[in-house]
Amino acid sequence: MEKPTRKGPLLARNKFDVDEELSEEFNIHAVRRILAYLGPYRGMVSFAVVLMIVASFMALLPPWLIQQALDVALPKGDVGYLVELSLAILVTVVVGAGALYFRIRVMNRIGQNVIHNLRGDIFARLQELPFSYFDSRPHGKILIRVVNYVNSLSDLLSNGLINLIADLFSLVFIVGFMLVLDLRLTLICLTVLPVLFAAILLMQRRQRMAFQDLSRKQSNLNAYLHESLSGIKITQSFAREAETESIFGRVGEAWRSSWMKAVGIMFATWPVIEILSVFGVCLVYVAVVDWFRDAISVGVIVAFVGYIWRFWAPINTIGQFYTSLVQSAAYLERIFETIDEPSAIVDAPGALEVAKVRGEVEFRSVDFSYDTGAPVLRALSFHVHPGQTIALVGATGAGKTTIVNLLSRFYSPSAGVLLLDGVPLDQFLLSSLRRHVGVMSQDNFLFSGTIADNIRYGKLEATDAEIEAAARAIHAHDFIEKLPEGYNTPVSERGLRLSMGQRQLISFARALLADPAILILDEATSSVDTETERLVQRGLAHLLDGRTSFVIAHRLSTIQNADRIFVIDEGKIVEEGKHRELLARGGAYSRLNGAGGR
Amino acid sequence: MYRWFWSFLHPYRFLMAGALVLTVFTSALGMVNPSLTGILVDKVVLGRDFKLLWVLLGLLLGATVIRMALRYLFVMSFEHVSQRLVKNLREHLFTRIQHLDFAYFDRTRTGDLMSLMTSDLDMCRHMISWVTYQSFENALVFVFSVSVLFTIHAGLTAILLLATPFIGVSAYYLIKEVRPQFSLVRAQFSKLNSVVQENIAGNRVVKAFVREEEELRKFRAENDEYRNRNLEASRVWGKYIPLIEGFSGLLMVIMVLGGGWLILEHQMTVGSLVVFTGLVWALTQPLRMSGWLINDLQRFLASLERLFELSRVESSILAPEHPRLGTGPTRGKFEFRGVDFAYGEQLVLQGISFTVESGQTVGIIGPTGSGKSTLMRLLARFQDPTVGQVLLDGTDLRQWPVEEVRRSVGYAMQDVFLFSDTLEGNLVFGRPQATVEQAIVAAKQAQAHEFIAKLEDGYDTIVGERGIGLSGGQRQRVALARLLLADPPVMVLDDTTSAVDLETEEHLQQTMRHLHGQKTVFIVAHRISTIAHADLILVLQEGRLTQSGRHEDLIQQPGWYRDVHFHQLGGEADPQGATVGA
Repeated sequence: MEKPTRKGPLLARNKFDVDEELSEEFNIHAVRRILAYLGPYRGMVSFAVVLMIVASFMALLPPWLIQQALDVALPKGDVGYLVELSLAILVTVVVGAGALYFRIRVMNRIGQNVIHNLRGDIFARLQELPFSYFDSRPHGKILIRVVNYVNSLSDLLSNGLINLIADLFSLVFIVGFMLVLDLRLTLICLTVLPVLFAAILLMQRRQRMAFQDLSRKQSNLNAYLHESLSGIKITQSFAREAETESIFGRVGEAWRSSWMKAVGIMFATWPVIEILSVFGVCLVYVAVVDWFRDAISVGVIVAFVGYIWRFWAPINTIGQFYTSLVQSAAYLERIFETIDEPSAIVDAPGALEVAKVRGEVEFRSVDFSYDTGAPVLRALSFHVHPGQTIALVGATGAGKTTIVNLLSRFYSPSAGVLLLDGVPLDQFLLSSLRRHVGVMSQDNFLFSGTIADNIRYGKLEATDAEIEAAARAIHAHDFIEKLPEGYNTPVSERGLRLSMGQRQLISFARALLADPAILILDEATSSVDTETERLVQRGLAHLLDGRTSFVIAHRLSTIQNADRIFVIDEGKIVEEGKHRELLARGGAYSRLNGAGGR
Repeated sequence: MYRWFWSFLHPYRFLMAGALVLTVFTSALGMVNPSLTGILVDKVVLGRDFKLLWVLLGLLLGATVIRMALRYLFVMSFEHVSQRLVKNLREHLFTRIQHLDFAYFDRTRTGDLMSLMTSDLDMCRHMISWVTYQSFENALVFVFSVSVLFTIHAGLTAILLLATPFIGVSAYYLIKEVRPQFSLVRAQFSKLNSVVQENIAGNRVVKAFVREEEELRKFRAENDEYRNRNLEASRVWGKYIPLIEGFSGLLMVIMVLGGGWLILEHQMTVGSLVVFTGLVWALTQPLRMSGWLINDLQRFLASLERLFELSRVESSILAPEHPRLGTGPTRGKFEFRGVDFAYGEQLVLQGISFTVESGQTVGIIGPTGSGKSTLMRLLARFQDPTVGQVLLDGTDLRQWPVEEVRRSVGYAMQDVFLFSDTLEGNLVFGRPQATVEQAIVAAKQAQAHEFIAKLEDGYDTIVGERGIGLSGGQRQRVALARLLLADPPVMVLDDTTSAVDLETEEHLQQTMRHLHGQKTVFIVAHRISTIAHADLILVLQEGRLTQSGRHEDLIQQPGWYRDVHFHQLGGEADPQGATVGA
């Protein structure tokens, strides 16, 4: 038998201890893109920069004012001038505090809005991505991108950037002052800069790699954390807590040592800058004392050295900004990687919103394989009239689920075409198509909220009466009513206090409320006991009436009552017909039946 | 709470103290450069003592290099301590979480736990690696400058300090008002995390119902709220921090006015005031920083509170005080004595009593929601009965070490969870030392080998979280193989073949029959054929044990079992209604 191979290499990334790939080079493109997010807040950014300049100016004034007091007012005993100077200092203090007040507000507004928008974009993108994206990586790694990585950018974008702009300004001012004081000394002083750049460049590469490694390790830690929290019941039931803890410890240790390496390099930057700045000061003294001798006045020397000290402070903050940029670049890359992730399934240009469909389905020689795997469907063709109930029968892995996944375009066929009401599927807007094709699967995921909320998920505008009607139709009403809070009973992701069967009934009601033209039941009733299934069956019969439906099940009388039964094997229809006909034929169907019939 | 946190810091207290001492040295060395440059200007530039130039410059560079080295050392020490502490804290919390009961996980969202274990923990790291030494350094500078100023002019220093109470009051209000804001931010972050996490976990349902818009709406609400909470908090601290900075700046005004007045009154020399102006920076800087540091401290405390809360959650499954000591593997004899179980008000099981001998097979059947899974959870002590006792080998389960019970009772759940690992990795989960051959044998028994062998990478195929790449039936069989490989004396199979086709199930039943006599097996099923061979069949209805006995006896009694039997049999009797192996 041919291999019904499923996704192999596709899932290679899907492990907590497999590092994600990151590009080798520093990605300036990612930085430029994030700056685009500041675009809408251009006005605010300019305002913040102005505030910064005002604040720096206000901070520079008091030393000069105090100097005036010491040199002019006090020797003269001019009390009036002294008071005036004090008042002037008071003004600088008040204006400075006021500027700070507004700066905090503006910067927070910018920072919070930018990350808000960025997170909105990445989340919106996630909604468009196909299953395979979620299937191919641990959920913890996706989660951390949307939440933690985005958060870590807020400081860079608000404080970091505005400080950078302000510092660049003061750097220009300082160099200006230095040039005015003495050209030669300035040039001597600036000779240190190339050394600094060389040192930074030398460290930069290692630093970037260290931070990339850190972000990978963090991703792994989060993935493992997420997975072990999700699978905790299994861990407990196998009493494997100790092993899980030791793996967790190992992953945490990897993160820790990666962190220490990264900050070890990062913190080395500051000493290099400091030592070089002192070296610059030494050069100036040597020049003054040894080379130029008496050519330069003491006043100039003192002032010049004063400026050199100031010169290095902005250089240092710029260096720090660069460090956080390097650190964030690794995060940014991840975020944009997600935003840029191509969705295999997108609306074709000119795709249509279709209000109503009849439910006529046709497969025309459809081929399908998962990524690199062997073909799952080969040249599959069939035609279904509106309102027909089709049962798909065959061994596990024969391709039944794939057929229905193609129908709601969760995947696209590798070759061939699918038609709904004679129109190729890709000419429907995806949202429009999926609204007409309802799927009830085994995966009855419930969202945290009440039972009513979860049923309402099928039709957001449904009234309480409609919800109850849906619940009654599939016989969920009885058990819901018996719960202490009835329809308002809160449930969680994994379905607090509800049995699997009960959760399945709720997801039925959810699908029923959605009222799709085509209904797919993918092993949907497997967790319901026979009696409930019998009850559901009645509801289902009523539900299937007038709808095109595809039923995949192992034991359901719907199969016997189906208009047509397709027996699927190796991605092909090997038999087709009604229950009786197929039994009479004595082929694959009757063999399957015999095996179950006992 | 503080004592709890201290217990994590305790092992590193000497390293911390050492690092703080280094901080003192570094701050002191910071004073060297200004004085050296002072001498340089006086002696070399003005005094023309050129020999001194090289000595002084050498000292300047040397002092800087030493200071930088020390600084690097202490900064790295703080990083080291913070990393160790966070690692220990994380592992401690993780271990605690590992041992919490099912009820906790039923009501707690993964996203909430994720945010606690990531960003709240990061606040602790920031606290140690940044806030502590910054606070210390600033306090040091403050104390140092105040004492120097006092020796120069006590009166003026006292006047200057008059401004500090205002700063104190502002700081007090900042602490009082900002903390609740930060708690709200943290709580909202948790909510945001949960919405995103559920959206990722439920992506199939979202797509199936075309609810992307609705999901975006939910997300936007939380995302907006998170931004607003942050802005709200920043409004609070943004109010007090400028105030604190402003009051700090006031010191300069006081100094000029007060100092000027003292000079005019001949209480002070101009030279002293010059020194004052030089040092006033050292006085105001720590005061200005205090606002920011208090802010960070409050942020940390808001997170610490949440972490502490997590560490205090108690599992309702308590380890026995005097555990029954291990007497080798359990025999697997179970007895339920008048067991009731309730989730809060809701009584799920009522008056359950039965006995199962070692090696017997027990079938449990009943309508959806009748308490079957709850009963099974009691067996492996995932829950304790509200009333009554569950005895294993004649000893109350609560007297057994929990680990021992779990190792004895293997549990295959309805809701199959596979880890994102290779299939082999998943199979050996319950018995990590098992060989590949043993894994294959188990997979064969569980009818999983055939499909695994057909996969491109076979046993090395990596399956997604929750086993996403596999079909329901395949997942169930992998879970069953995992259990068979773990080979516990008691096996609980909670509806583990529901998604398996009939032919495969037939094979699985043969496997199960082989276990008869060797293991105590509990099987929850919907189909009577699955459990007809059991030594004991329990019928649960609405939490009560309504019928029990062997298949042959039960089909004679009027009741639920016979009704269901005839319904299912009816299918067999009439070829038209035959169940179909799909």
